[in-house]
Amino acid sequence: METRALGDTGQESTVLTFGSIALNWLEQEGANQMVELVLDHGVNHFDVAPTYGDAELKLGPKLRQYREDIFLGCKTQEREYEGAARKIDRSLDRLGIDTIDLYQIHGLEYEEELDTITADGGALDAIREAKAAGKIDHIGLTSHGDPDLILDAIDRIDDLETVMFPLNPVVAGKDDSEYDYEAVLERCESEGIGTLGIKAFAKGSWPSTDELAEADRPYANWYEPVDTPEAIRERFDFAAAQGLDTVVSPGDPKLVKMVLDAASRFEGMDEARQRSLIEEVRHDDSPVPEQLHH
Amino acid sequence: MAADVPETVTAALADRQVEGQVCLEAGAGVGNTTAGLLAAGAKRVYAVTNDADHAATVRERVGDGSADRLVVVEADLRATPLATDSVDLVTAHGLCNVLPPADLDAVAAELTRVAKSDGRLVVDDYAVPPADAAVTRLFALENAAARVVDGRPALAFYPPAVLAAVFADHGWAIERKATLLDPVPWTEAHLNAHADVVREYAATLPDSLGEPLAAMAEDLVAAIGSERAGTMYSLAFRLGDV
Repeated sequence: METRALGDTGQESTVLTFGSIALNWLEQEGANQMVELVLDHGVNHFDVAPTYGDAELKLGPKLRQYREDIFLGCKTQEREYEGAARKIDRSLDRLGIDTIDLYQIHGLEYEEELDTITADGGALDAIREAKAAGKIDHIGLTSHGDPDLILDAIDRIDDLETVMFPLNPVVAGKDDSEYDYEAVLERCESEGIGTLGIKAFAKGSWPSTDELAEADRPYANWYEPVDTPEAIRERFDFAAAQGLDTVVSPGDPKLVKMVLDAASRFEGMDEARQRSLIEEVRHDDSPVPEQLHH
Repeated sequence: MAADVPETVTAALADRQVEGQVCLEAGAGVGNTTAGLLAAGAKRVYAVTNDADHAATVRERVGDGSADRLVVVEADLRATPLATDSVDLVTAHGLCNVLPPADLDAVAAELTRVAKSDGRLVVDDYAVPPADAAVTRLFALENAAARVVDGRPALAFYPPAVLAAVFADHGWAIERKATLLDPVPWTEAHLNAHADVVREYAATLPDSLGEPLAAMAEDLVAAIGSERAGTMYSLAFRLGDV
């Protein structure tokens, strides 16, 4: 599988990162098999979080077995020092390892959160302390919030080394600043910050719970994913062709094998085809529904 | 909210000088290229359309914030009220496929008249859709309905070499050709828009003829759903010899 430099971290990540939340829905034996399958395809970057049920615990055995082959990202939703310090130790304990390669501030949504994180006694103090103590190697951020907020975070966190954010044809077709994750990608590229893409496989929102009860959804993702080999391949190719360093696999284990195949076969995507994918979804919520032309 | 500029438009304009230029969008439709030209810093954009609804749509959708640079002109493209030698950049995005050959030549002549002597032109359109594409049947039905009502087809898909030759006859030299879409995604919304054209023609006919035509359009749209077929290309020209 193709590898790309993860910003200036020194890490060469495969163009696919395994979203280990998928392990949460498997028994331990199945989780072990899943990790073996992912490693068989050459994937060397895994991502997990303490909020993904017991994914950390289920990743643990195979992570320890193959520790040298896996660059591990983990994250915290804690915004203050105490909580973040506790969560780092808890994740290390649950994973059964000494060092997390990339530790990310998870799910940044509001400006006030950024204030708290970066203030004295904020989560960033705990993360930097852990880095100095050798518990983590690199500092990152994840967000599907406002791109301007992400840019602000890049400005305010000097030692930020990676950013994880959404990118897919729906987002790429919208010009409003609230969808301008391409600006984030450009900034990261110019500053040597690594980029991880999420929501590459999102098709749309689930039908309302009146139409389809949550318990009746066929996939564990909180959005409705594309789910055919062809659609998954073109979504992967699109995301990887945007210039992201790596694309994170979707959370449902049933989709992972198709995504592994897509990533293994990745050979780029020409621009006319990228535009075709954007055009196809642009009309989903166009202000002018009836259009003859593209 | 700013109007989203389609990627096709952005790509077609990417290597053109737009900033500071007086531009004309020929066949403004819902104003997609007008929005792209304004976003790229055009000094002024004449959005020309012969359709009052489209003119209103362009004003409403694109006019906010650019009113001082946007002039919506309701006129026939074969005879616009614009001065000779007044436009730096002319665009025709998805226009030529609704112009039968005789009209195409007249429109090309008029666009050449208003363009400055060193003017530029961008023509974006669909290549002839593959014969085995399902959308081809819908387009054939649309043309059949148009011929019955108007005695002329509604749609004419030109190969890029043909459009290049038509404009070359008016003094335009080709600077580059690019592929904008491959494949073209014909979504349900596009197919419905084409079916609407059939319905409009059908409505002018006696029920015995119009109703089956409208029903056929509806059946075709339902059967096709959506389809990816064919390509969309972009030709860039300059006036005079290269």
